[in-house]
This record gives sequence, C-alpha cells and structure tokens, in this order.
Amino acid sequence: MDSCSAIVLAAGEGTRLRPLTQHRPKPMLPAATKPILAHVFDELIEAGISDITVVVGYRRNRVQSHFGPTYRNVPIHYVTQEKQLGSGHALLAAEGDVDESVLVVNGDQLVDRQIIADVVDAHGRADATLGLVEHADVGEYGGVLLEDERVSEIVENPRDDRNYRLNAGVYAFEPTVFDAIRSAKPRAGEHSLVDGISEVIASGGDVRGVVSDGLWVDATYPWDLLRVADDLLEYDSRVASQVAPSVRVHESATIVEPVVVAPDCVIGPGAVIGPNVCLGENVTVGANATIEHSVLDTDTRVGGGATLRDCVTGRGVEVGAGSTVVGGPGDVRVGETICENEGLGALLADHVRDEGGVTYAPGTIVGSDTLVHAGSTVRGSVDADTEVRA
Amino acid sequence: MCGIIGYVGSDESDTMEVLIDGLSGLEYRGYDSAGVALADNSIDVHKKEGELSALESALPETTASDQEESVGIGHTRWSTHGPPSDVNAHPHTDADRRVAVVHNGIIENYQTLRDELVDAGIGFRSDTDTEVVPHLIGTYLDAGIDREAAFRRAIDRLEGSYAIAAVFEGSETIYAARKDSPLVLGIGEEGHYLASDVPAFIEYTDRVVYLDDGEFARLTPEDVVVTDSTGTVVETSIETIQWDAEDAGKSGYDHYMLKEIHEQPKALRQCLRGRLDELSGQVELEELGDLSRTGPVQFVACGTSYHAALYGATLLRERGVSAQAFLASEYDAEAVPVGADSMVVGVTQSGETADTMRALREANRAGATTIAVTNVVGSSAARECDYALYIRAGPEIGVAATKTFASQQTALTLLACALTDQGSRDLVRQLRAVPDQIQTVLDTSRAREIAEVYEDADAYFFIGRGYHRPVALEGALKMKEITYKHAEGFASGELKHGPLALVTENTPVFAMVTGDSEQASKTIGNVKEVEARDAPVVAVTDGQSNVDRYADHVLEVPAGDEITSSIVANVQLQLVSYWVANRLGRSIDKPRNLAKSVTVE
Repeated sequence: MDSCSAIVLAAGEGTRLRPLTQHRPKPMLPAATKPILAHVFDELIEAGISDITVVVGYRRNRVQSHFGPTYRNVPIHYVTQEKQLGSGHALLAAEGDVDESVLVVNGDQLVDRQIIADVVDAHGRADATLGLVEHADVGEYGGVLLEDERVSEIVENPRDDRNYRLNAGVYAFEPTVFDAIRSAKPRAGEHSLVDGISEVIASGGDVRGVVSDGLWVDATYPWDLLRVADDLLEYDSRVASQVAPSVRVHESATIVEPVVVAPDCVIGPGAVIGPNVCLGENVTVGANATIEHSVLDTDTRVGGGATLRDCVTGRGVEVGAGSTVVGGPGDVRVGETICENEGLGALLADHVRDEGGVTYAPGTIVGSDTLVHAGSTVRGSVDADTEVRA
Repeated sequence: MCGIIGYVGSDESDTMEVLIDGLSGLEYRGYDSAGVALADNSIDVHKKEGELSALESALPETTASDQEESVGIGHTRWSTHGPPSDVNAHPHTDADRRVAVVHNGIIENYQTLRDELVDAGIGFRSDTDTEVVPHLIGTYLDAGIDREAAFRRAIDRLEGSYAIAAVFEGSETIYAARKDSPLVLGIGEEGHYLASDVPAFIEYTDRVVYLDDGEFARLTPEDVVVTDSTGTVVETSIETIQWDAEDAGKSGYDHYMLKEIHEQPKALRQCLRGRLDELSGQVELEELGDLSRTGPVQFVACGTSYHAALYGATLLRERGVSAQAFLASEYDAEAVPVGADSMVVGVTQSGETADTMRALREANRAGATTIAVTNVVGSSAARECDYALYIRAGPEIGVAATKTFASQQTALTLLACALTDQGSRDLVRQLRAVPDQIQTVLDTSRAREIAEVYEDADAYFFIGRGYHRPVALEGALKMKEITYKHAEGFASGELKHGPLALVTENTPVFAMVTGDSEQASKTIGNVKEVEARDAPVVAVTDGQSNVDRYADHVLEVPAGDEITSSIVANVQLQLVSYWVANRLGRSIDKPRNLAKSVTVE
C-alpha cells in the first residue's frame, strides 16, 4: 500500500482502568511518563506515516488539548465518535477521511513500529490485513487463525488450544471495509471492527495476517501500568532512563536507574528514587522520601519521609509526610471480582490526598478526590470522593 | 488597519496561494475587508468587503492556478478611516495602476497630503488615509523619478505610523518601510516574504529579519536589502522562529477560543518552566539579568492586559512597593509623572499594541527603566524596552484573550517575586499547582449549564475584591466581547455606591469568593445585598466559605491562596462567556468590530 495516512482509535474510556479513567480516556494514561497514545503516534511516525486522523469521544478534550493540531510536525485531524458504540462504529466516524487503503491502529495499546511496517508491507492488494503477535495471553484478547498467511477465523477470547495469534490492533483496510462493518450484525448494540472483518472473510474477501515479533503491551487493569513501564524501560530503547533538564534534584538525593523523570519535577534532599520509577511532569518528592517501582502521574506530591513501593498514582495526588505504601503482592478487588496476588502496592486515583502517616495495605485502591486522614490504615477498595478516618 | 503580506519568489510557487494563506494567518488582526495585488507587466487588484472567504470566492477561477506573476501583496483590514467596503479595501493604486500599496497604521497628515494631491488634479476613489501613498508615488513617477526613489520620497512625506509595502507594474520587486507598526521579513527557499506578523508565512519559512523603525526594505526573488533612512545598507541578522505551523488548526474544537481555554494548563507549564525553584523557594527570571528596582512601578496596558496589570500592581503593593496600573491610552492624557527612577512595565500580548507602545516610548524618553511583558519574541515592545519578560503562552488566534491572560497573571506573579526578592516556598508551591487546578476546572466545570440558564439575561455583573477585582473586570470584558451583551465588572464594595440600581431579577451576578479571609466575608456581605434584590447569584468559590448558602449556583474551583485562585477562578468565567456566546450563535473567534492586535491609537 502507498498510503501514508493512519486512523487511530482513541474514543473509548477503557472501563477496566477505572478509577484512573474518570477524567480521561485510556489512551491518555501514562506509559512510563507519556500518554500511551503518544507512544502510538511515535511508532506510526517512525514507520513513515505522515498524516494521522484520531477518532476521539470519551473525554476528548484531554486528547485534543494534549496533542493539538500537530504532533512532531505531523498533522493530526480529529473526528468525534459522539456515542461509543464499538470499535467498528468508531472507524465509521472517520469514513469521510478515507478514499484509499488506510492503516488503522488502536490508540490504547503499545505497538512496535515493526508491527506497523509489516502490515503496510504485507497488505498489497488484500481487502484487509491484520498485524499479529505470538502472545501467551491470547485468551484475553482476539485470537486469529491463519492458513498460509490468510486469516481463516477470528475468535474473541479463545479457550481451545488451536494455534492462535493475538490480534495486535494494527490493520490495513481497503475502503470496502466500511460497508462490511455496516452489514455485520451489531452485538448488544455495538458494531465491532472484528465482526466487520469476519464479514469480509465470510463473503470470500482476501484477509491476510502477518506475524511480527515487535513489542506489544496492553494495560488491562490500572496496576498493569507498572508492568508497561517496566517493559518500556527494559525492552524499548526509545524509553531511556533519563532525568529531564528542567528537573531540580537536590545534591543529596539519590537516583537509582532505571528511572524516567519528566520536566519540572523536584526531588528533595535525601530522597531515593528508583529503580523502575517513572515521575510524570511537575511531580514533587519531599525530603528523605523513598520511591521504588512506581508510576506517579503529573503533579503528584510525595511528602517528606514517605515510602512508596509498587505504587500507581493519578494526577495531582498528595501523599502526606511519612505515609507508607508497603508494596505488593496483594489481592485487588475490581467490582465483584478479586484479582489475587497482583503486584500492586496501592493505586491512588486523581487528587487523592492523604494527610500523612497513612499506611496502605498491599492491593489498596483509593478512588478520586478522596481524603485520607492522618494516621489511617487503608486497605481494600475505597470509593471516590469520600473520607477515610483513622 | 491591520495585516499585510507580501511575497516575491520563483515562478514555480503560486503567488496567490502564498498571499491567501498569509492573509488567513493574519485574519486575527482585522477582517472587515481584504485584498491582493499581483504585479507583472500590469497590476491586478482583487479586493472585497467582508471576511477573507468573501475575497476568495470573488477571485477569478484562473487566477488561483494559472497566474504567472511572481510578486504580490495582500492586506486584511480593520477600519479606521472610512467604513468597510470594497473600495476602501486595500491594496490602493494610483490612477494609472502603475503602483499598488498596502498599509497598516495611521497617516496623521493624510488630509494635508490629500488636499495637495486634489489641488494637483488627482481624483480619489476611497475614504482611506492610505490612498494618498500610491498617488504620491504616482506624481513622483510622473516627474521621472525611478521607482525606489519615488517610494522613498513618498514615505518621507508621511507622518504617523505605518508598515507599508508597494509593488510596481513591470517590476519583480517589493518596496517596504515601517515606522511604529510591525513588519517582519521572511527568508525562504522559494522566495522572500514580508508580513505584519510571523504566522502569515511560517508555513513557508521560519527564518526572519525584523525591520526596525525608519528602515526600508527591497525584496526581489534573489535577495533582500535593508537600508536606513539615508539609503545606507544596514547589516541584518536572520533569526529562526521556534513556533511551527501547529498554530494553524483548531485541533477538533469548534473555536480557537475553546481550544485556547483548554490549552491553559500547558501554557502555564511553559510559562513557569525553569523559573521556579521549590527547593530554595526562589523565583529565577534569567531575562531580567541584573535588573534592580529603586523607585515606583507603573504598569501600562490596554483591555485584557490592563486587567492583568491591575493584578500585577496589587501583587507589588502587597510586597510594599508603590505600584499602579494605567490604561495606556490615558497615560499621557492623565499626565502621569515618570522619571529616571521609575520602572514602567508594558503588558501587551502582541507586543505591538499602539497605545501601549506609545506609553512605553514616552517612558523610555523620560529615562525610566522599561520592561515588556509580552507573548511575542522580537515584537516592538520586546525590542524597544530595556528588558523583556516572555509569558510563553504560545500563539493565540481567538480575538478574545484567554490563555494569554492566565499567562500574564502568572508571569506578573513571577515578576513581583523577582522585583522584591521575595520568593516564598509557599507561593512557589501554589504556582506549581495552578496548571493542575485549571485542568480540574476544565474537567469538572458546570459553566455550560449556567450559560444555558442565563443566556437570556438582560445584563451580567461580576464582583470581586483584591486579586479577584481584575478577574471580575476581565470576566465582564470577555462577556461583552463575545456575546455582545451588557456586562460590567465591579469591585465588590462599589456595588452599593451606585451600580446596585442596575441589579434586577434578570441580571445574574457572578461573585468571586475564595478562601475564608475577611475580604471573602466582605464580598459575601455584598452577595447578600444582591440576593435581597432578587438577582440570581453565581458564586465562583473553593468551598472554604459559606457563600454557597447565598448563591443560586456554584462554580467550583480547587482551594488555593487568593493570588493563584484568581487565575484559576477566571477560567470558569471564560467558559461561561464562551457557552453563552455559543448558544447565541455569535462569531466567537472574530467578534464584530474587534481585532486582536490593535496597532492604531
């Protein structure tokens, strides 16, 4: 295919990442210190894409104000999916921007440029081409069966032991796919992109699959942001351990690499940061605080003498002086289900504020804007906008 | 009179396209009419009343692609002399169409020149001051003088302010001159450009030469020559502009104004970057170098910038410095005493505002130390003042200032700390929290619902005390500018001294109340006075006081101190105005009768 344009799907909330998605969609959650979507754009641009259309919907202001009209000199065009009625429905929102073959990528998963380049190369005259990876967790995602580079079947959450490859969410399509999406029967009122592709297969179309060995990482649950950051630090040469130039680090602070420290951060005297710590823009670490294996999002403040292990914070969280996130593993409650033995110390959603001297038991989740009083011990799952008393 | 563009280049490029692109990048400077002139063996002029789109649709089909002229000039106008009309639109030509001229500024002696030309038998077509220029040049051409000398001699006759560009039939050259109006030259691969402002040609080149007052420029496809008033060639330095073409799109928002409101967290991070040290509690402003203050501080500014100046003056006074804000247009009329020990701070987004420039020049003449607080690197204010403090908001296209006001407030807070050597760890910490607090307002604001409730109100009043008073004034100005409805901002305590007579059940009062200080409780007292007259009250509050008890609606902001919470609270008012204007179907990015950068006094 000669097309240099791509459509990125970034309209969905990503409900399993609640409470972090209260004010922003999953593509805007931090992978290390940058939004997941920024990594997707980077890989598209490295793969030679020079024109990007983003389908936005849920909390679209966050995407639009972060990226603006261009990213790394590549024009970004926004189209809005007013109601989030499935990935196929999202792609239909961008139909007006497409008159030749086009690349389509999920905006909420990290993909490697190799997967993108392989799909572009393999597409040729096919009706649709899917980027695939070998992945142990294929049962959690879309499983794709291949016969001689042709896709024979796509199964969501496959449970049998046939030779499934994981659908990496990178596609090349001919414009005819739009009709296929429309003619596929909606499920529970939603139009899925995969059902559209199955429709193309059923009507005898040429649907190819290409298996790549590039990095593919998805965050299903909030604590997966820790693993995403680890993977980027370990495998991705583009996410180098670094401290941005505008960061102020006290001479007596210690940085244990690898770390990523974004602009405007302040690291106080005697603090110890790392290894595997990602500090988003304008994070403040107080004197003698100790942080390891954590992802702290923009504007978070960590009080003096606090200790954080395996911790994920949202935006503008305030951890008080002397508070302790003990570290994983722990059992985490998500809605009605319990995820056992997850490597999460604590997840503190946007603007959680603790007054200091608070202890977080392994696997604790605290909802947005909650105030935790001094000296409390917090465990389990705490709702948004509440107060926790000692 | 507002934006000019010129291009001369290689035959392959499409001159008309460059001119139209350029004008669209300048439309924020004025948009009641627009025109272009292309020159080869003859001069083609196309001009039209209305927005640029009116000109575009009036262009003949063939001109856009088949034209071979490689030199042209264009203009987008904001009327000063003569109403908007096709005939008053620029470019203007002499009777024989040998020369076409575009002009930004005001020619103060135009009546004298016009009388002289009329006496010599020359007929005028328009009501503009500009038309004297091509006729003057024409008379010198008639006298056998060559083009460049005729242009220079005509310019010599002018009094007032101008950025002027002219093209001649049979010549691949643009002649230009400036005095007290902005003009910048662009050095590109495919030719040379000139414009009132960089966005006009940033798509083609980021290498620029700023023309100084009193200088002339000659642009040909091969080179650019700058000369002084005596004709001596001036050595120029080429600067590279950091802004990229990103400044063009609305990035998915319906209006630039809404986009720019949402860009405020990012704008403030840029403004603060590298300037705060929370470890030491200090503010560091490299640009100000060895600046020290001894005497009183005066702020001069207009419009929204004046409101920021009021805020800046309060900050300094609170730190024990004698400081006052003046409307720039009143600065000489009010006979403000200024001397060598004065410090005069000009607050101007564009750095070109004529009223502010005039006041700053007066301060320079009096020997005062001058500081420009501006958004535009290389602007007249930045170059003519002793020091320039950049607010780093990034380009603002919407005529109604939003993010630049927040950035001005932020930069002035930094300036107040730097001038008094009074940083404080607490204020530094508060400032670092502002971008996040604004993001929270953007994420949670109920301004749109409030706008729906009050879109039909007779008038809107805004009250605030101390740091909130400038914000009350700014809230009212925003409402006026984009909704065309009556709005007034008052110091809370002034309400009972007269304006209360205006308050009815159909005039919502927006009260700014944050914190729980004595100032806040006094404003709550004023809220009760309003409430007693059955006026609906919208409180903008951080929940630390009990104002919500007396309010019909509450617009929440995160808790902070009064200095920074006024920056955050203003965002709620911006959103209310935006949504009222949106519901009323107003031309939000280009309100009637207004231009973004007003380069006339």
